[in-house]
Amino acid sequence: MELFTNGIGLSAVVFFPLISAFVITLIPKAQEQLIKRFALASSLITFVLSAILLFQFDFSSAEKLQLGNKISWIKSINANYEIGIDGISLPLLVLSTFITVLAIIYSLEHLPEPKSPKGFLALILVLETGMNGTFVALDLILFFVFFEIVLLPMYFMIGIWGDKTVRTVSGFKNQIETRLYASIKFFVFTLFGSAFMLLGFLGLYYRGNKTFSIPELIELGTSGAFTGTFATLVFAVLFLGFAVKVPMWPLHTWLPDAHTAAPTVGSVLLAAILLKLGSYGFVRIAIPILPEQAKAWAPAIAILSAIGIIYGSLACLAQTDLKRLIAFSSVGHMGFVMLGIASLTPIGINAAMIGMVAHGVITGLLFFLSGSMAHTYHTRDMGRLGGNMKLLPKTGALLGFTAMASLGLPGLAGFWGEFMALLGAYNPLDGLNTTVFRTSMVAGAIGTVLTAGYLLWMLQRVNLGEPSDEWSDKDLHDADFYELSAWIPLVILTVLIGVFPKLIFGATNDAVIAMLSKAFGG
Amino acid sequence: MILPRKSKYYVAAFALLGTLFSLAPLVIQWANYTSPIYAFENSFVVDKFSIILKGLFILITYLTFLLSINFIESDKYYQGEYYYLLLSSLLGALIVSSSRDLLTIFIGIELASTPMFLLSGWKKGDRKSNEGAIKFFLLGVLSASLILYGFSLLYGLSGELVFSNIASYLLSASLASSPVVLLSAMLVISGIGFKISIVPFHSWAPDTYEGAPLPITAYLSVSSKATGFVALIILLTKVFAGSGSSWGVILVIISGLTMTLGNLVALQQNNPIRLLAYSSISQAGFILAPIAISGITGDYQDGIFASVTYLIIYAFMNLGAFLSVHLFSNYAGSSDFYEWGGVARKSPLAGVLTTIFFFSLAGIPPLGGWFAKFVVFRSLLGSANSIGIALGVVGAINAVIALVYYARISKVIWMDELKSVNEDKIFQFENPLKVVGVFTVLITFVSGIFPGIFSYLGEVSSIFFGN
Repeated sequence: MELFTNGIGLSAVVFFPLISAFVITLIPKAQEQLIKRFALASSLITFVLSAILLFQFDFSSAEKLQLGNKISWIKSINANYEIGIDGISLPLLVLSTFITVLAIIYSLEHLPEPKSPKGFLALILVLETGMNGTFVALDLILFFVFFEIVLLPMYFMIGIWGDKTVRTVSGFKNQIETRLYASIKFFVFTLFGSAFMLLGFLGLYYRGNKTFSIPELIELGTSGAFTGTFATLVFAVLFLGFAVKVPMWPLHTWLPDAHTAAPTVGSVLLAAILLKLGSYGFVRIAIPILPEQAKAWAPAIAILSAIGIIYGSLACLAQTDLKRLIAFSSVGHMGFVMLGIASLTPIGINAAMIGMVAHGVITGLLFFLSGSMAHTYHTRDMGRLGGNMKLLPKTGALLGFTAMASLGLPGLAGFWGEFMALLGAYNPLDGLNTTVFRTSMVAGAIGTVLTAGYLLWMLQRVNLGEPSDEWSDKDLHDADFYELSAWIPLVILTVLIGVFPKLIFGATNDAVIAMLSKAFGG
Repeated sequence: MILPRKSKYYVAAFALLGTLFSLAPLVIQWANYTSPIYAFENSFVVDKFSIILKGLFILITYLTFLLSINFIESDKYYQGEYYYLLLSSLLGALIVSSSRDLLTIFIGIELASTPMFLLSGWKKGDRKSNEGAIKFFLLGVLSASLILYGFSLLYGLSGELVFSNIASYLLSASLASSPVVLLSAMLVISGIGFKISIVPFHSWAPDTYEGAPLPITAYLSVSSKATGFVALIILLTKVFAGSGSSWGVILVIISGLTMTLGNLVALQQNNPIRLLAYSSISQAGFILAPIAISGITGDYQDGIFASVTYLIIYAFMNLGAFLSVHLFSNYAGSSDFYEWGGVARKSPLAGVLTTIFFFSLAGIPPLGGWFAKFVVFRSLLGSANSIGIALGVVGAINAVIALVYYARISKVIWMDELKSVNEDKIFQFENPLKVVGVFTVLITFVSGIFPGIFSYLGEVSSIFFGN
């Protein structure tokens, strides 16, 4: 397996989807079956390649960057094609290839209007290149390029295949379709963050011996090369870039709109992977390169996370739209992830890592289910739904299971991230203000109760009770083969991670400890 | 012009072949290049800088011809004169990129812009075309006189025409940052400011762009602008380098205003040509930024590298954007792009091309525009100067604002409903236009994915600055 030690395997995981997307554009539109099979095959191949990486990866030294390479890319500015994975990026990379396969399986038979599988599948594959690339990039410019590549496919996915409901938006004279408003809002918010992030990268470049290499910058950063106002400003812009993507309160407002408007698969990918790009950015770039600033900002991040948790839960309680509820629940769950990161302790960041994967799996599944239900019932209004268990027993059962996982039931994947994040916040890194963190912890704990509250209430409104009469003469289809084959793997994964959290910690723990001890000593 | 009417077809072919053929000596010069060659008592130079820019100008003109073929044949235009005038303008641009004295550069600038006065009024029956051409002509004459006045001050001071002599005289007489020289710099900047349409000298551009035949508009916004920038770069770095800290500050302010104003007005446009006109004003602000900041820091080499890289990438993606506008406005028969709903589904190829060009203009990776923006930000932040960083922040905000209107075109053509009037029309995408589309899209992609190809420009700008 020499190919995998010199970075070719890793590059293949990144670029194979892109090449496949290009091939798809060359297949005539009429050959729909061929297009679908080809897309499925290429996503499977990508997943298999990433699975081989799992076996090639040396878990005994998970803190080292492995299986990568460094090739000169833009000489004049000393930006390189530098890639590699460690225990932090590996789980996310595999999650990304895995979710993409499921997204494509689901899309085989459940394409939103206007069908056109060619464009849709090609966009998913381009998106995958952007996501995988972000997780393996070890050069700031490369990271930036991949970070931005995901914008275009997602913009078009929301804008073309999204929700066509017309609504009034404050600030617009005329009524506007949800998809159009949401797609440009998503794009502008993220670009706003990343434009400033790029300025921050350039700042690091000029102070740091004109290198964009993340490992080199980490060396420089931990030896104290970045200090003073400069470092504060750089951390501020990096924070802006990543926090928009996470999204952290109060920069989250694009998320409910984008999620609600996006087609099912779009919401799944957005929730499962795209949000992780932001929190991954904190763990990979912002904290190790600027440890002192991270320490200074940690209380603020903790407070914002706590607000996010409470705000997200309260907003969920106020929702009548099923999909929007799940979107707001993401704000809350990512709040836990960020709270874990803010504690700057091994336990907190491990919690964030498992929380990211678990949120990807669970919320991904929730969006699959709600999307499918919206398609069956032609409504997402929870007031009209009800008795789902009787109408669609399979979907209903899965919804019940996933909601339990999402509220953090012990034994399922969601538990570890929330529980350990609170633990991390109870006892943050030495020198951090414990009052702030413990208050945030209490807020987070209240948040878990609220989370349980809105999810159970949602189940009560949607799943239980008697079906309303309007569905009695409708022919409602329960989950079919394609849907189940996209969902069951996620269910299995939820249970597996819940029972054996070591699946994730085995990879992340050493890497997280090494990163933190390098950044903060001890 | 001497051919009979029947054989007018050959004119286009001859012009196309001629421009291609003129690339040959450039390639040979590049291959055999050892050191800069001076001619006419140091007033004309052949260095790598000028060779690259000449290549750029020739390619742009070639693509403009390709854009023009069907357009010119579609109406009773004078073909011979059309190509003749464009080629004259090209000659002017070529002279500018090699010129090293006041007279040569003035003749170059004017030779490049005078034919455009005629060409922008080419649609004789069209009031807008006439109006635009008149505005352009009057302001063009004003700008020429401003440049001349600036030059006359320099000549009066030093009694020299050749740049290197003027610069060394100013230095030895310690006049480099005297008020007179600064006044002269301001006059030159104002004069050339009209050509490159920076605020506050931009007001003619939208009207003229809207009235002119579309290929001419494309040429104006790409080649004429590039010519102006090249002249400005040469003059500022070769003659006025000594007073950089003064004009630098003024240009920084102009650059910030140009980006912002162009963008904000572009947001309001529904005419695609006017949108591109304002967008190109805003882009000019970006091109100007590195030169401006290099005046303050004195690191001209980096400023030239960034500006020229931006110019080259901008030239091709902007030509592509004009191609898109040409295709869709012909198809929909409307100069309001909100009428273009869903047309991309009629021709996915044109739709994808349009998306690529406009998002590249917005600076989204991996399309070429991102690298252009990146080098500008790089040189702004590299100045380690608070003015430069402030301009960088202004630029970042503008990059986000610009996205809104660039994305709007893609939104309309992909996401809106197809208008019923457009349903049965057949989409015309002629072969010469396809060549333009494929060529520009390739450059847009390659420059975004392998920006390393621009690395040689760093070396080129060091040679330029060294002689």
